[in-house]
Amino acid sequence: MKIEDRLSLLNYKIDKSYAHITVKPDICETCPDHFCTFACPAKCYTLIDAKLNFKYEDCVECGTCVVACAHGSVSWTNSKGAHGVKYKYG
Amino acid sequence: MSEFDAIVVGGGPAGTSAAMRLAANKLNVLLVEKADPPGSKNVSGGVLWGNSLSGVMPDWEKTAPLERYVKSKGIGFLTKDSSIDINFRSTKFNETKTGYTVLRTKLDQFLNKKAKDAGVTVVTGVTVDRLAFEGKKVVGVEQDGDIITSDAVILAEGANPRVAIDSGIRPPLKDEDVAIGVKEVIKLPEKTINDRFNLREKEGFAGEYVLGFLDGGVEAGGFLYTNKDSISLGVVISMKHLRENNKTYSYDIVEQFKNHPSIAPLLEDGKVDEYSARMVQEGGLASIPKLYGNGYMIAGDAAGFSFSNGLILQGMNYAIASGIAAADTVVEAKAGSGISEQSLSRYEEKLMNSFVLRDMHTFKGIGDITWGSLIHQKMPGVLEKVMLGLFMEDGEPKKHVNQIVKEALKSSGLKSSKLLLEGYRMYKRM
Repeated sequence: MKIEDRLSLLNYKIDKSYAHITVKPDICETCPDHFCTFACPAKCYTLIDAKLNFKYEDCVECGTCVVACAHGSVSWTNSKGAHGVKYKYG
Repeated sequence: MSEFDAIVVGGGPAGTSAAMRLAANKLNVLLVEKADPPGSKNVSGGVLWGNSLSGVMPDWEKTAPLERYVKSKGIGFLTKDSSIDINFRSTKFNETKTGYTVLRTKLDQFLNKKAKDAGVTVVTGVTVDRLAFEGKKVVGVEQDGDIITSDAVILAEGANPRVAIDSGIRPPLKDEDVAIGVKEVIKLPEKTINDRFNLREKEGFAGEYVLGFLDGGVEAGGFLYTNKDSISLGVVISMKHLRENNKTYSYDIVEQFKNHPSIAPLLEDGKVDEYSARMVQEGGLASIPKLYGNGYMIAGDAAGFSFSNGLILQGMNYAIASGIAAADTVVEAKAGSGISEQSLSRYEEKLMNSFVLRDMHTFKGIGDITWGSLIHQKMPGVLEKVMLGLFMEDGEPKKHVNQIVKEALKSSGLKSSKLLLEGYRMYKRM
């Protein structure tokens, strides 16, 4: 099953006004490994034409990426106001 | 004068247990949970092992939303083509229930409701940003610039402890501290599950697997637990080994586990109904931060309390027991000399006298074994060769078991000196 199909099973209350994770593009540009793309279980980090693309909307808030990024690009905060992923089983 | 006797951050098993225990001692407690409804951001494997919840809810086995009790415990080594399994089933587990499969969204909603019923002020959908300090003393929590004051704060925020890190009371997590947990919930009819796992009503299966077939040195453990009418299945991936590999996607590994020839038939016609992920505290004693300070304590996953020896994976019982110990520490401090770093140091003493910290000390260094190449890379292949040597009838003259084992070890490239050393370590530490 493709990850996109698995993610489509999830419910989110998307916070349009606040990105709880931000990345620093200048750091990602020179990144030698892009380990985030392999580590993130929600495929929020992808390479498009060898350039890192990040979207927070699919995030399941596990916190893996901030550990995975060894270059200090990822800033992680908790989602606010009950936004973000809403599991039905957990 | 503080607004609350205690604030508990996080409405999982640790936080709700702490809050219930505090309320039972007539303290004025605020529980703040960022999800709404509570539990909707929480993920576990999940088997709730042990009886820690009885400390706050004596009748929990009758009232809590439990899926099945563990009647059958499996351990398996998987290679590309084979599985070598031990399946332990016992009627002893009918008499004394050792573990129950649970779904956290249901369980945590129940626990939050129980906390509310016990008199706790439960606030959901509110995210605590950091602890509020006066000098070095924690005086409450900060949320969107507002400070809510309390005499003590119990941080039970789970596996991704942002509040603790952002408040400077624990270091950021490193590769050695965590593994990546990826899970799916797969719907199947109750009767189909009973038939496939040889279970009767309410009986459950909990299996842990070494995934010895993953390419490129990736090391991961698999788990498969039966719920009433679904299966919780997932993988726990070593962050360190995934980084060294740097070409396998975490979300693909769970698919490889599902597609294994021994696992796929168990899931046939099942419908994936949820995908989830969390970090799993795997660092053992070395990952545990300072557990208390002036005005605060850390409990549950946020403190790194979980246990894995490769045969079993536990977290919720450690969370509950630590939450209760933190609550008792507050109760005793308030009845005695008041809240101070000195009075809260009793928390660590309590944990040292319980299985929570004692297990961490007893199994110090276990991660070197459970995440070692012997178990993940060598052992599954050796076991497979031994089994094939025993059971694959090829019309040739038969060999003694010791000959089969010797040949299997030889073809794995395992030097007997290394095997002896590693085997000894495993025997001692596991």
